[in-house]
Order: sequence, then C-alpha cells, then structure tokens
Amino acid sequence: MNCLSVSTSMEGRRSNLPIRSEKREREREREREQYRSSMLQCIFLLSDSGEVMLEKQLTGHRVDRSICAWFWDQADSFKSLPVIASPTHYLFQIVRDGITFLACTQVEMPPLMAIEFLCRVADVLSDYLGGLNEDLVKDNFIIVYELLDEMIDNGFPLTTEPNILREMIAPPNLVSKMLSVVTGNASNVSDTLPSGAGSCVPWRPTDPKYSSNEVYVDLVEEMDAIVNRDGELVKCEIYGEVQMSSQLTGFPDLTLSFANPSVLEDMRFHPCVRFRPWESHQVLSFVPPDGQFKLMSYRVKKLKNTPLYVKPQITSDSGTCRVSVLVGIRSDPGKTIESITLSFQLPHCVSSADLSSNHGTVTILSNKTCTWTIGRIPSDKTPCLSGTLALETGLERLHVYPTFKVGFKIMGIALSGLRIEKLDLKTIPPRLYKGFRAQTRAGEFDVRL
Amino acid sequence: MFNQFGSTAETLSKASAAVLRIGTDAHLYDDPEDVNIAPLLDSKFESEKCEALKRLLALIAQGFDVSNFFPQVVKNVASQSSEVKKLVYLYLLHYAEKRPNEALLSINYFQKDLGDPNPLVRAWALRTMAGIRLHVIAPLALSAVGKCARDPAVYVRKCAANALPKLHDLRLEEHAPAIEELVGILLNDHSPGVVGAAAAAFTSICPNNFSLIGKNYKKLCQILPDVEEWGQILLIGTLLRYVVARHGLVRESLMLSLHGLESNGFYEKDGLVGDKKDGDKSDSFDANLVSLVSKCYIEGPDEYLSLSNGVDTVAASFDSKETTSVGDNEDVKILLQCTSPLLWSNNSAVVLAAAGVQWIMAPLEDVKKIVKPLLFLLRSSTASKYVVLCNILVFAKAVPSLFAPHFEDFFICSSDAYQVKAHKLEMLSLIATTSSISSILREFEDYIKDPDRRFAADTVAAIGLCAKRLPEIPTACLNGLLALVRQESFAGDLELVDGEAGVLVQAVMSIQTIIERDPLSHEKVIVQLFRCLDSVKVAAARATIIWMVGVYCSLGHIIPRMLTTITKYLAWSFKSEASETKLQILNTAAKVLISAEVEDFQMLKKIVLYVLELGECDLNYDVRDRTRFLKKMLSYKLACHEPTEDSVASQENIAEHVVEYVFGRKLKPFSPLNLHNRFYLPGSLSQIVLHAAPGYEPLPKPCSFVVEEHDQLSDSGRQREAMSGLNGSQESSETVDEDGSSEYDSESYNGSDFSSDGDERNDANDAADPLIQFSDIAVSTDQEELRSKRALDLWLDEESSTSNQTPSALDRNQSSYAKISIGDIGSRVKPKSYTLLDPGNGNGVKIDYTFLSEVSTVSPLHVCVEVLFQNSSTEPIVEVSLEDEEAMNVSDSAEQTLVGKANASYNNVPTLIPMEELSCLEPGQSAKRLIQVRFHHHLLPMRLSLHYNGKKVPVKLRPDLGYLVKPFSITIEEFLSTESRLPGMFEYTRRCTFTDHIKDTRMENGKDKFLTICESITLKVLSNSNLHLVSVDLPVASTLEDATGLRLRFSSKILSSEIPLLITITVQGKCTEDLNLTVKINCEETVFGLNLLNRIANFMVETSSSAI
Repeated sequence: MNCLSVSTSMEGRRSNLPIRSEKREREREREREQYRSSMLQCIFLLSDSGEVMLEKQLTGHRVDRSICAWFWDQADSFKSLPVIASPTHYLFQIVRDGITFLACTQVEMPPLMAIEFLCRVADVLSDYLGGLNEDLVKDNFIIVYELLDEMIDNGFPLTTEPNILREMIAPPNLVSKMLSVVTGNASNVSDTLPSGAGSCVPWRPTDPKYSSNEVYVDLVEEMDAIVNRDGELVKCEIYGEVQMSSQLTGFPDLTLSFANPSVLEDMRFHPCVRFRPWESHQVLSFVPPDGQFKLMSYRVKKLKNTPLYVKPQITSDSGTCRVSVLVGIRSDPGKTIESITLSFQLPHCVSSADLSSNHGTVTILSNKTCTWTIGRIPSDKTPCLSGTLALETGLERLHVYPTFKVGFKIMGIALSGLRIEKLDLKTIPPRLYKGFRAQTRAGEFDVRL
Repeated sequence: MFNQFGSTAETLSKASAAVLRIGTDAHLYDDPEDVNIAPLLDSKFESEKCEALKRLLALIAQGFDVSNFFPQVVKNVASQSSEVKKLVYLYLLHYAEKRPNEALLSINYFQKDLGDPNPLVRAWALRTMAGIRLHVIAPLALSAVGKCARDPAVYVRKCAANALPKLHDLRLEEHAPAIEELVGILLNDHSPGVVGAAAAAFTSICPNNFSLIGKNYKKLCQILPDVEEWGQILLIGTLLRYVVARHGLVRESLMLSLHGLESNGFYEKDGLVGDKKDGDKSDSFDANLVSLVSKCYIEGPDEYLSLSNGVDTVAASFDSKETTSVGDNEDVKILLQCTSPLLWSNNSAVVLAAAGVQWIMAPLEDVKKIVKPLLFLLRSSTASKYVVLCNILVFAKAVPSLFAPHFEDFFICSSDAYQVKAHKLEMLSLIATTSSISSILREFEDYIKDPDRRFAADTVAAIGLCAKRLPEIPTACLNGLLALVRQESFAGDLELVDGEAGVLVQAVMSIQTIIERDPLSHEKVIVQLFRCLDSVKVAAARATIIWMVGVYCSLGHIIPRMLTTITKYLAWSFKSEASETKLQILNTAAKVLISAEVEDFQMLKKIVLYVLELGECDLNYDVRDRTRFLKKMLSYKLACHEPTEDSVASQENIAEHVVEYVFGRKLKPFSPLNLHNRFYLPGSLSQIVLHAAPGYEPLPKPCSFVVEEHDQLSDSGRQREAMSGLNGSQESSETVDEDGSSEYDSESYNGSDFSSDGDERNDANDAADPLIQFSDIAVSTDQEELRSKRALDLWLDEESSTSNQTPSALDRNQSSYAKISIGDIGSRVKPKSYTLLDPGNGNGVKIDYTFLSEVSTVSPLHVCVEVLFQNSSTEPIVEVSLEDEEAMNVSDSAEQTLVGKANASYNNVPTLIPMEELSCLEPGQSAKRLIQVRFHHHLLPMRLSLHYNGKKVPVKLRPDLGYLVKPFSITIEEFLSTESRLPGMFEYTRRCTFTDHIKDTRMENGKDKFLTICESITLKVLSNSNLHLVSVDLPVASTLEDATGLRLRFSSKILSSEIPLLITITVQGKCTEDLNLTVKINCEETVFGLNLLNRIANFMVETSSSAI
C-alpha cells in the first residue's frame, strides 16, 4: 500500500517537471537578458579618506561612482567584509597600505578570482611605484590606467605576469623621470608585443641574453606562534617561501631539490613548476621567469620551540595595574636575533599608562598602541618592561587582557630546518653564479597576557 | 627652442616644490584644467597631445564628464605614437557608449589597424573596437574577431576570445550562432593562453552548450595545467559541469553517499565505509546534510522553493542510471587526475575551484586530500581568508570529521579581522570532538578575556554550541559560564564598558542551551542563576533568566519552594524594569499561576494580580496590551480560590485550555539541524552572499547531455557552414559573379501580361535549361522618366544546380532564379513627409517637409526639400520664411571634421538655399516651397529658424539618410562587379522583417504573389530613399508560396562624395506570412553605409499606411 502511494506521488511529480523546467528556462533567459555577461565591471581606487582616486570602467555598462559613497558610508563591520552585496552591485574589496581596491560586478563569478586579481593589481602597482600610498597613485595615475588596461580586458584578467607587464609598460624610474623633465616627452608604452605574451611559457621572454648568468635562491620564513595565557605554546609553525632571482640566458631548465622535503606539510607552486617530478621524487623542476619571483610557498607545522620567550605578568588592584614583561632567548638558533619588537594594544578601559624599560625604547601612540623596540638582546641583562596602568574611574581591576605581538628577524637561518640540497641546470651556461640565502622573521607571533 | 626651455623651466620650478614628484604626472592630476585642453589636442606635437589626453584622463579619474572632447580625441586615433594611441583608446572606451555617432568615426582607423603587421596594434584595435558596444558595428566587430581568431599571434587570438563576450553582450540574436562557433574554434586552439580566455568566453556566452566541450574534452583536460591561472578557474568549472551533464554524479562520491548507503548497501559490502562502521556515524558526517547539499548543487533556486518540503525526495531523485563510477568512467578519472595537482596552485581561486571538483566528484576516501590545501589558503590575504573560510564552513558542516584533526589551524590570532574570528569560532564549535574539546575550551577561555568584547560574546555563544554538540562536557562549561556570569555582573558598572552586556547575555543564553538538554540534572545551576538575578543588570540577560523562571517553575524540588519568593521579588522590581523584562515578568507570572501548587496559590494569585495592575498603568503600550490580554485569559484562574477548582462555565474551559496550551507547555527538544539552509556551489559568489546571484547556475541535471553520433556530424556541418558564413562575403560575390557573367538570350516581355506568366515559370522550373530573359524596353537616364516608364523586366537565369559554393542555407533551396524589373511604380511612390512644426507649437501653422528625389542644382552637397505650409488657424499669417539659424559664420571645428574630406571645395557654399518668402497665408490655405539644404552631418539635425508674423521660432530639420544619396543607374553587370570589389569590411548586413505585402497578397488574388511582394518592397524602399532599382531576382521555387530567394538590388551614390553604394535585399519566408529580409550594403564609406543600413532596416519594419 505504502509503496504504491509513494510511486504514484512520484509519477505526479515527474509529470510536473517539464513544465516547471520550461518556466525556469524562460525565467533564466530573462535574467540573462537583464544582466551582463562580463565579469568585473569596474575598479575603483579609494584613498584612506574615502576619496575616489581613480575609476576604470571595464565594460560598456558603466558603474556610477556613487557606489563608492554608498560603500564608504556603511558601518565598519559591514564595510570591512571582502564581499559585499550592495543594492545594485556585488562589491569585492581589498585594502592595501590604506588604499582600498574596490571591484564591482552584477553577476555570479568566483569571488576569490576577483580578490586574487585585486591582490595581483596591488602587488604590481606597489612593485611599479615602489610602494603604495595616495600620492604615489595620484602622481602616476597614467601608469595605473595603462597597467589596469593591460591587466584586465572586459572584466577578465588579460596579462598579469609582472615580467611581461614590465616589457609592455615601463616602470617609472629615475632615468625616465629625468628624461621627462628635460624633454617633456617620454613614452612609457612599448611599441612591440613582449615575446613572452604569446609563448607557452608566458612568464618568460623567449630569449633573454645576459653576460653573467646569476641565480639566487632565498628561503624566507615566517614563524607563526601562539602562546596562551598559561604560557603554553599552543601553536608554532613556519610559513616559508622560496624566492628566486634569476638572470639566465636562453631557455634554462632548472632542478631544485631539498635535503629533507618530508618536513614540508603544505605547498603551493609558481605556475612554472612541473607537477610530475614533484609528485614522484619531490624535486622542483622548472623553467624560471626572468627576474624576481616566488617559486613556492610551504608550511612546516608543529614546531616544538620558539627562539624567544616573552613572560608577561600583570596584577591589578584598586584601579591600577602593575605590568612587567621579560623577554629573553629560549633556544639559541645559532645566529643573532635582530630587531626584536613587542607591540600591544592597551585595553579601552586603561586611561593612562606609565611604562619604562631597562633596554630599548617604549612608545605609546594616541590610539593606545604600545611598542617596545628592543633590537638585540644584550648579553649582560634580561630586557624588562615595567610600569603601571591606570584604569578608568569606576573600574577596580582589569578584566580584559592585551595580546603581545612579537617581532624579530634572524638572518642566515631557516628555522623550519628545511635545507636546499642542490640546484642543477640542464645546460650550464658560461660564468654561472649560484647563491643561497635564508632568513626567518616573526609572522603572527602572539603572546597572550 | 626658447619656448621649449621656458616650459622646462616652468616644469622645473613646479617640480622643485615636491622633489619626490619630479617627472611624474602629479601636476596633471592636481590641476588638470590649468591649461586649455582643446588646442593641445589639435597640436601637431605628439607630446602636447599626450599631455592633453593625460589631463582628460585625470579628469575622468576624478569623476568629471569630459565627453565633450570626444570628436577631437577621436581624430587622434590615427596617431602613430603608441602612447597617444593607448591614451586615446582609454578615453574612447570610457565614453564610447555615450557618444555612439562620433565613436563610429573611429571605425575606419580600427579597420586599418587590424591589418597592421604589429600584433600589439592589432590586439589594441580589436579590443577597443569590440568594446565600443554599438549595434551597428557589431557585424564589423564580429568579422574582425573572426579574422583575429585565426591570427598567427597568440596574444591577438587571446584578445579575440576576450572580445566575444563583449559582442554577446549586445544581444544580437542573429549573431549568436556565429559567436558560439567562434568560441568552439578558440576552445580548440593549441595555445593554452587562448584556451583559458576561450573558457571564460564560454562560461559567459553559452555555459550549457556542452557539445562544444564534448568535442575537445580530453584535450581540454590535458591542457588544463598549462592554461593561465584565471582561465583555469573557469575551465575547471566548465569541465565539471560537462562531466555531470554527460555522465552524472559519481556513485562512490560524497554527494551520493546517503543514497548508496541506504539503497544498495554498496559500501558495507565493499568495506569502503571504514571508520563509519564504528557506529560513530553521526560524528563523521551528517548524512542528511550531505544529501541536502548535493540536492542544492543540482537544483536551481526556483526548484528549491517549489520542492521545499524535506529531504525524503533526495534519494529518489538520483536514478541509478544517472550515476557513474570513477572505476569505469574514463572522463571522470581524467577530470580528477588533471585537477588534483591544481590543489598546489599559487592562485587561491584555482585551489578552491579544484577542491570543488574533488568535493563533488571524487570517491569518498579521496575527498580528504582537499583539506590541507584548503587550510593552507588561510595563510593568504585577509580578504581571501574570509572567502575560503566561508567555503570551508560548508564542507565542515557536511563532514566535520574532515577538518576535526586540524582544529589548531582555526585558533585565532590577534591580527584576524572580526569576521574571520567569528567564522573561526563557528568552525571550532563545529569540529570539536571529545579529544580536542579540552584544548579548544582552553583557547576559548583566553578569548573571553580578549579586549574585543563582541568577539568575547561570540566565544561564549560558541561554548554553548560546543556543549550542546558534545554532551560529555557540559559540567565544565557550565561552571565556567556561571563564574563568568557572576564575574561579569560584579565587574562594576557595566554601562561603562563597551560590549560587556553582550558577553553577559550570551553567557546566560549559553547556560540556557546547555540546561535545555537535561533540565532536571541542572536544577542547582538554575537556582544559582535565579540567585544572581539581583546582581544582573542587563535587561536582555534578566529577561532570559526570568523566562527560565517561568519555564522551569515546576521542575524538581527546590525551585517550587523558592517560587513565591522569586515572584515577590519580580513584582517588587517590576516598576524599575525595562519593558523587555516587564513583558517576561508578565509571561512568567501567568506560567507560575497556572502551575501553582495548592498551598502557594492564594499568595501567588495576589502577587500576579498586583503585577497585572501595575502593568495596566505602564507607559509602554506593549506592556499594557499584554497585561490586558493576560488578565482576560487568566480571569477564570484569578476568580477561583483553589488551583484545581473546576470553574463552572464551559466556555471558560476553552480559555483554560488555551492558557494551558500557551503557557503550560513544556519545551520541545530543539532540533539542532536547520534543514532550511541553502547551499551553493563551492567557490561561487552566491555561497558567500547566501542568495542566488544573477547568473548563478546550479550543476546541470545529471546525464542531461546525450551525445548522439549524427549530432556530432551535424555539428561539424554547422561549423563548416559558419566558417563559410564568416568569409562568405567573398564567396557570395563570386557566385553572383558567375550569374552575371552568364549570357542569356533576351526576349521582350510586356509587364501587363506578367500575371499570366506563372505557367511559364513553372515550365522553366521543370525544364531547368530553357532560359528566358525579359528585359526592359526603355532605359532612360532621367530619373522621373525612368520611374514612370520603367517596364517590367524579367528574365530567368539558371544558377548551376551543382555549384557547391552557394554560401547561405537560404540559397541552397533554390537552384533557379528569375530576374525582373518593375515599372509603373513611380506614380505610386509617395515620399514620406515629416513634421517640421505642428500647429500646437506654431499657433496654427503646420509645416511638413518631404525630401525630393531631384538632385540639387547648387552643389552636389545639397538636398532638395519640399516644405508644405498650412494655415489651420483662423487668422491669416504673413511673412513666412525659413532661415538658417547659425548663419554662416559659425564654424565649429567638430562639425568641420564631421563633414568629411570630400567637401573641402564646397565649404563656402551656404548651408541653406532659402525659399521665397510667403507673403501671406490665408486661413485654411496651404502653400509649397522648395528649399535646398546642406547637412553638416548625416545624422545631426539642422537648426533653422522660422519667421512668421514677425516672430522667430527655432525648428529642427532632420536629415533623412535615404535622401543623402542620389540614384546611380548602372547595369546589373556593373553592379555585380562593383559589389565584388567591396567585400569584407565594406560589406554589412542586417536583418529585419517585412509585413507590408501581406494585405496586398490577400487582396489581389489574381495577381502574382511574387510580383506583389516585389512591388511592395520596392515601393517601400523608393518611398523612403532616393535609390535606383537595378534588378530583381525571382526565385523559381517548387512551391509558389515560398518567396525565399527573392532578391532586389538598388544602387546609389553618396551625395557628398560620389561614392557608389550598393544595396541588396534578400527575402526569406512564405508569401503570405511575415518576410525576413536581409539587407546588405556595400560601400567604401563605412560609417555612412552602416547608418543607411540601419535606416533601411528601420523603415522596412514600419508598417506603412500609404501602401495601396
């Protein structure tokens, strides 16, 4: 009985389906009519005060810049979302050095694509302009326009490879600046199509020539760590990048191998890296881009130790708190630990602070950010920050505690322990220089009080 | 030289003000308007042009409208300097849609650039031309794209692929097949760069045209790793959609796991379930949710809305025929193989897209390989971190066990944005397991002390969620939370501290969620909470606790004993409460009263009465309303003396039941799973904004795409057709040439006999060989004479039936043609008249004008216009005349450029040859006058001023493109040879429908239908433009109904430049129905030709009242 009734109801549903799907098709058709087939429609660059510095319309369907005013007027928590559904458009945003890159679309598209693209734009711009700030963007707005035009066509990324962009649009350098002052005329747009733009290795010009062939490999690592309020090391891992700088003649084929690739937990590769050799013997085989690039990034997890210890103590009573923080070397990495800094945000309920240290300098900014610059740890004493915090009236004791962000840098060592075994070239050019370097700095190193 | 130095010195002095800004464009951005831009644009120095353009761009950047410089900027498109060119393109694209007419002027330069040997120049021209977005140039742009799609340079082909969505965006139905074929061609390109861009075009143009993918599927998979990252993102999605449509979902995949487990026990048998056998099934994954997710992926939003009830349909919705298996399906295997290395990509979007494929298609045991790459994405920019987290959350909701071992990755660091923190908390509470919960709780303890109190409040809520998911740990949590409540409430004046209240409220709510599971064993906790009541100052927290008093008032042993005291306390504090709390006190009072024990009843009744009285006088009307309502409802209780006493009246029993039902009901266990969630495809925008964004498409229906052998054949056939269609211009002219070159005997024929001639044509059709030519008797060069005397001229010719080159499908049906020419039509031509001034605006003066076909005597640039004055008022009107408003002295440089180069010698000719003045026009009288006008631009109206009765009224005389040409009489042979010299870029076509003939054909049954159609088309054309009818080709069709193949040829010369312009109208359709006309123009003057084409297409569509 039961079975029967189920099957009949299914029949009924089936028979309804075509009608519904037809209707859906029609509706979808109408929807397509109404909306645009292009992806990104417009890119805005906003200064840190919300002024629209640049607009680049990418399609014929113009986006009015009033959308920026709407965006800027939103509440902070909403405004900081990377993907925002406004009444008329979907907005994607990234903030880089105080400049907001805002992109608009009206249709479904992978949001990460838009965000990654904006990040790429920001990278390229800061590379071209030697940094990013309001003045730099305004002073070089023509270059920004030209770059954007090459980087995206009809809302879809066109040329994003920095090496090729450099050949198409010359970066502003001192020579061209001086030239433009003297002659009043210097074109920064290339007349010819970069050879890489069409080849199957788009990251490399087809036949660069160098008198001396150089290739440098840098291991740049960042240590992320969390020390909880009990002083326990909750999480400690390394995020590292293999950065290369290559100036090699012709079409070199490189192989880079590690002595201990098994420590690598996760990795991501530059498009030039071939997947097969890595899958089979964990060897990086690639034809490098010309110039500087990031070959791979990796992560090494579950490290046991941090090079530094930070021991904060706080006691609060009747409206004042006593703070003391000790910083010292926990496990000596064998190289000097440089530019040690400690910064934290004083809680809102602190009305004034009186902090001093026996080594280094302490600065407190008006936004209650406190920075203790230590530099190197002296051999004769343990750096110590101490002082008192006065709480706002009415508060007896502190119930919220700041988190210390630790900064440091160690040259010449990769704390993950990753070692490069060798770098081979298939055909060795004359006068080849190879160089290896390593450095570690603090990434997200949090010590909670 | 000196000037040069002077400007340098000036620049230097400016620059010295800000040393760092030396040599940059800073001054241009800061003061773009400190010099006059217009003269710079016309400068002969490239550097000055460049500076002017930079200033314009600076103004655009700052949001000013500088479109008024358009004509001047467009001129510079011809510049040789690449920088000027680039800047012009930037400007042009910004304003092209706003100034379509002027944008058209640049077309010829683009055409030239498209043939440039430098690929960069070709690519730029193509990009800009396609970006102009005008319907008129779409055919040009399309053929340009078609050409560039076969360009030797990869970069140009890539730009061609990018240009396709621009053309598609114009919604030109007739070009859609050609565009899709181009997508197919580019998808088949051997260069990965082009394939990536083609994939993007495919996604936005025809995402469901799977036959395009089917042809190259394997090749696309192999090329995928080499495609550029941006193309990869879209290509991955396309391949996934294709595989689902072609083969359906994978049986072993997560998406069908529920179905598999239940219906055929597939997993149990093969032992693939693994850890799920341990009975810990609920922990490893939530089967209901997974099936809901997979259902959401497949069905669109409207389907979802119509089938909103329940999961039960899921299992049935996947037919076993609609599934496939990785083991024996090569396509699925390849897809999984080629996407898995992309999990290592440097681009987060690629990783997420690849993860999406694995998530949907990979066998259950392989899904876990997406976990680590996804987690590694969290170490990228803040913005992408957020998007990735949103996606991971969905994965984790369906299968928490995937992420459970990696809980440490979700620990929060101080630099995370608030949204990221909130998502991480949700993640942690989702994936917490009995083994990891202790570390997670320890982290949570830290977070509670965070200075960001909103985050601390979220943490407290997360603790509640964790405790609810893992029943083993609540005691630890509860103690912590209670301590928090106590600490928070004693922490002093809470109003002082931001967000502190939120933490307290969350703490109380979390305690409530934990208690809810098993209230009886947590009785003491409830009591403790009640005790805190006095110290809790936050209204929302108090309201929650008071609500708990009502709900748990009859629970256990301790609470009922405290009840009177608590109620007394509540009554006492009622006055000082916030209205939110007051409402809860009223509710609680009702609940307490209903469940009151015998001994407390009297006491409680008094307290409740007291509260109700207070409530009735409250300032807040919600509170007053609630009080009155309760008083009415509870009246039976308040009236009696014992709680169990049975009140007499039966209708009060109903009230009692209602009250019991509303207030006495115990809480139902709350279902943790919210099945009304919607899920969208991983990596989509919709998944982030949580609604279906426009253009969002779910996965196609499994196995909805069926490949059939003959389908593929016809596909390739269609492709060939489209290819020939693209370069069809040459071919068609070739074929026509053949026709023209064949010599046929001619035989005179009389037009009046034509109607009886059907038999003969049939004969011709049967016999195919005998060729009869009906030729014109008298050909005259004089226009009027030609029109009146033009006799019917018909000749049949045969197009060799074996000729394969015939380009279009419409020609294919017919193998024979007859050519006729129509006479006697001149008398029926009624030129259309336009209104210059209607009587409403002109105090009763009505002025119409009609373009005449006569050629002006003054100069070849002038057009004769007949102006008809009518006086419809009651007064006579005196001294009527028309004059040129902007006299002769105004010469706008913009207009000068528009006039074109050919007329340089006529520049001093007056714009208007004025008419004789009308001295007087009596009421009801009308008079005709002739004026001759020279239009500055073929689209822009001419401003005239009308003088009458001493007044001056400005009027606008609009040019009619059809009369800016003059008839050009040539023979058919000349016509065809001229046409063959104007192929490609000089040829444009448009389609339109034609309906005028319908009533004619119905009315005159005796007359030949073809002839009627010819006549009505000719009449229409000649009534609206000044053309010469060269010839008419009649199809010799097997059916007399089918007019397909009828072709009319007209010729003319452009007045201003004497450039010949050839028009061919080809008919398609049935005689008695609407006809589809294809109008083709061959002309060297691209812009004029395009505009005229539009004009013809427009007037052909208009239904005319004058036709017979």
